[in-house]
Amino acid sequence: MIEYLVFAAVFGLLLLGLHRKVIARVQMRPGPPVWQEILHALKFSFKSTWVPKTASATLYVGVVLVGIGIWSAALFVVLAGESILILFAIYMLHKVVEHGFGLSSGSPYGKFGGVRSVISAASEIPLFVTIAAIYLFTESLLLSDITAYQAVHGPFLLIAPPVAIAMYLVILSKLPYGPFSIVESKELVSGYKTEHFGVWRAGISVIDGLKTFVLLFAFVALFIGAVPFWAALVLMTIVLVSLSFVCAVSPMLSPFDSVTIQGLITGVMLAYAGYLWWVMP
Amino acid sequence: MPDIGGSDLFVLEFGDILHYYTPYTTTLFLFALIFTALAILSRPEGQIDIAFGGDAYYAKETTVSEMRFRRFMAIACGLATMGAMGSGDLFNFTLFASLVGITNVGIVAAVKSHHVLNAAYEYGIVAMVATLPLFGGAALILATTGTLSIPALAAGGFAVPLVAKAFLTLGVIGEGMAPFYAAKAEMFRAPGAPYVIMCSLSSLLIFLRVVEIAITI
Repeated sequence: MIEYLVFAAVFGLLLLGLHRKVIARVQMRPGPPVWQEILHALKFSFKSTWVPKTASATLYVGVVLVGIGIWSAALFVVLAGESILILFAIYMLHKVVEHGFGLSSGSPYGKFGGVRSVISAASEIPLFVTIAAIYLFTESLLLSDITAYQAVHGPFLLIAPPVAIAMYLVILSKLPYGPFSIVESKELVSGYKTEHFGVWRAGISVIDGLKTFVLLFAFVALFIGAVPFWAALVLMTIVLVSLSFVCAVSPMLSPFDSVTIQGLITGVMLAYAGYLWWVMP
Repeated sequence: MPDIGGSDLFVLEFGDILHYYTPYTTTLFLFALIFTALAILSRPEGQIDIAFGGDAYYAKETTVSEMRFRRFMAIACGLATMGAMGSGDLFNFTLFASLVGITNVGIVAAVKSHHVLNAAYEYGIVAMVATLPLFGGAALILATTGTLSIPALAAGGFAVPLVAKAFLTLGVIGEGMAPFYAAKAEMFRAPGAPYVIMCSLSSLLIFLRVVEIAITI
């Protein structure tokens, strides 16, 4: 299974490179080459590495491994068709990992980034509503059951479009350079990543690559259904390019506005899930 | 039981009370275990703070006795969280969740700062008030169904009131400190890693568990 992990990390980094390229082209800039994020990960792997004197050393290093571990687990969850509730849990636990990155170094920049990550937890609730709404249709949360349901009844993208929009916004809130990317905002240098450098930053790149791949793959499986692997990769790329357009034309929100808008989206999604629960037999 | 978190991997019976682990609850349990181990093994960070209005920064001093107590509370918090992850009994779950609330207060109340102590006091009031819907939800379920066993309730045949599920969820949100504490300035005043992280972690984990319970029963 190691080949899946390597492929997912590399393809995820390639998607992030494409994300930067599309944003740049929309903004009339040349932008970096699409393989820039892969080059970053390789570069950081060979840079000098140590642990800051003020850091909580075990946590500072351990949290990188935990981050890689949870997204590796998430990859196997989606590939094996296991419960999407586990994916929801991992997505939420990623907040704690970001928090750990920020707090472990002792740096105020990292700390502010970590705290912003916790206060933006409102972005997780639409994912929960997505899962609850899907459960109302399928009465199962196993990804294999959900794709089997779509094979009979058609894709969820057409059955319940608001749920797909909610998941789309969840992925948007996890992308860098998006309107909700307050955890990596430049006024905090690099937010929770600020004090992780060298091989630790390469580890963060691997986490970002895996996370991007898993979330986009889950989106395709949840809302379009079972498709050949190559088709899933094409669809993931199309979804990412559309997200890049959104990121390119929308400014980064202030932390307060970001949480407020995510809260409003959550309210709308809860109302929709309540409506579904009311009308479903 | 419905396959909400995957098929059962392991069931630990204590008479008519049991703990069960699905892939979902095992994931949560392992996460609590890993961070509890990190709280045991890690030395705390040496916190650096910015002096606003200039380029200066300063290192904060913290005493060993304060850190020792906070580590004890962080470990207790981790154990309570692990208990809540596998519990197959609603009453035990509510007890573990309220213990998480108590230990969360302990983690921040040990900080010798006027502002942080005020925050811990306010949070303690929220946690105390939250025990009302938490235990109230469990009591409602017992009164209407006659059992608090999660597998028995999940097997069907019981009409668990929606308001009881809502009470349970509300109680857990109140016990978990993160929603109330994360955005407060005291978060920056108190040295964070690895102890404050246990507050966020335990809050998230008991929320994730109650979501599974609410869907399952």
